This record gives sequence, C-alpha cells and structure tokens, in this order.
Amino acid sequence: MADTDKALQELDDLFAAARREPPAVPHHLNAAILADAARAQAGFPAAAPARAARQPLWRQLIEAIGGWPAIGGFAAASAAGLWIGMAPPSFVPDPLALAGYEDSSTALPDDSYDMAVMLSGDLQ
Amino acid sequence: MSATAEEVSDDALLVLYANGDGRAAAELTARLSPRVFGVAMRVMGIRAEAEDVTQEAMLRLWKMAPEWRPGEAQVFTWLYRVAMNLCIDRKRRARGGHVDLDAVPEPPDPARSAAEALQEGARLDALQAALMQLPERQRQAVVLRHLEELSNPEIAGIMDISVEAVESLTARGKRALAAALAGRREELGYSDG
Repeated sequence: MADTDKALQELDDLFAAARREPPAVPHHLNAAILADAARAQAGFPAAAPARAARQPLWRQLIEAIGGWPAIGGFAAASAAGLWIGMAPPSFVPDPLALAGYEDSSTALPDDSYDMAVMLSGDLQ
Repeated sequence: MSATAEEVSDDALLVLYANGDGRAAAELTARLSPRVFGVAMRVMGIRAEAEDVTQEAMLRLWKMAPEWRPGEAQVFTWLYRVAMNLCIDRKRRARGGHVDLDAVPEPPDPARSAAEALQEGARLDALQAALMQLPERQRQAVVLRHLEELSNPEIAGIMDISVEAVESLTARGKRALAAALAGRREELGYSDG
C-alpha cells in the first residue's frame, strides 16, 4: 500500500515536471499554420455586411412590387374594379353585354312560344 | 483590435479572424498551437505525427471560423476534440498498415549516459514511453487530465463519454503508469528512502 502511494506520488511529481516542460512548437509549424490561416481567410466572403437577415417570402413579394404604398394603391384599384363590375355607372357599357351575354327578355325570338306549341303537338 | 490581445477571448478572436483580421490568426496560433501540439505529442509520441495533427486541427479551425457561434462552446475544447479524433484516425490508419504505434513507444535516447539518466529529462522520456504503452483512450484521458489539467467534465465533452468513464479511464491509466514506471525506479534515480 505504501509502495503504491509512493509510486503514485512519484507519478504526480513526474506529471508536474512534464507540465513545466511542454513540447515546444517548432517555428516551421507555426509558419505553416499561419500560412493556412491566410489562405483560408482569403476564401471567406467579404466581411459579412451582405449577411442581411433572411426575409419571409411575403415580405420579399411586397418589396418586389414597391413596398406598402404600392400595396395601398393595389388594394384601392382592386376595390374600384370590383365596384364598377357589380354596379356599373350609366356611362359605362354593361360588362355582361360586352362579354356576349344578353338579357333573356331580348334574346328570345318573338315566335318562340308558337314554335314550342307546334313542337309539342308533333310529339303527341 | 482596440483591447490588448490578452483581454480578447478566443471566441472573439475567432470572430475577428472570420471578419478578415489577420492579427487575430497570429494571436490564436500563439495561444492554441502549443496546447494542441503538446497534447498531440503526448498522445502520438512521434513529433512528425504531432506536427501533422496540429496543423490539420488548426486548419479545420480556420475553415470553420465563419460558422463559429460565440458562446456555444470553448474554442480550445473544440480544438482538443478535433485533435484527439485526428490522433485516433492516424493510429487506426497506422494499424491498417500493420504497424501498431501503441506497441512501439519512443525508445529512450541511447546517447544518454547513466548519469544523465538520473536527470529529469530521462524521467520525462520514461513517462512518455510508459504513456505509449497505455490503451489509446486511457492515454488520451490521462494526458488531458494530468498534463493539460482539464476538468473531468471538459474531458468528457472532448472524448464524448461520461464523466464517470473519464474518472475510470484516468484512474486505470494512472495505476498502469505507476506500475510501468515502478520497474524503472532505480534506473531513473528514485531511491527507496
């Protein structure tokens, strides 16, 4: 037991001596490390100002069309378009007529009722 | 850098380096390369191998610098971990080539006289030779604990094992070292008194 304690104490002394004499780094190694550092640094992107925080897609879209003022104009124009579509002023042509749809009261031929009666008689 | 170099943390120096400061690399090299080289030398036992490990570990540090997140880990702990893994890789490769470096400790310098063998240098050579006889993980743990004076939690982080495993490795390693050196007490000038 005493021998073991003594051996461990001698080992601790040896560790302390080894700590006092750490292996010296050769100059050529430090030079190589610094050369590596310079090479690696040259490959880095230029000092990070371009690293703006990543923006969500909706914000990128808003900025692409001109920001919030543009969004306001866009909303006003959309609302006006909808209103004109639903209740066109008198001086604006009827959009339904322009699209080729006609009022049923004018679209039916005058003799359409007679034609229907004649056809139903044939069927009987 | 406005503050003196000693006041700047490794963390901050690494960020400065990533932002293009050349002096930061010099300061980090001066601080860290002796530590990495020391531990690599103790673990590998061969100077050329230790130099390669040190250079490679530092290169990985430089390359990783732009992604470093300050405050998340300590630079030297990260570096020790890289260096230890590089040591393990090299040992494995060497064993693949049928050379077990663990089994080939650096021989004591034959040019030393009997009188010189009593000197501290010879004892340190003996310590290194005994270290090289330990299993790899024991040697790493003993070197980090007793030569680098890291705490057990730090070593656990570096070696990716539990604190209890570190304690076990260092205790067994120390006993094995003491036993290996006991047979050379007389040669190394230790008296029985």
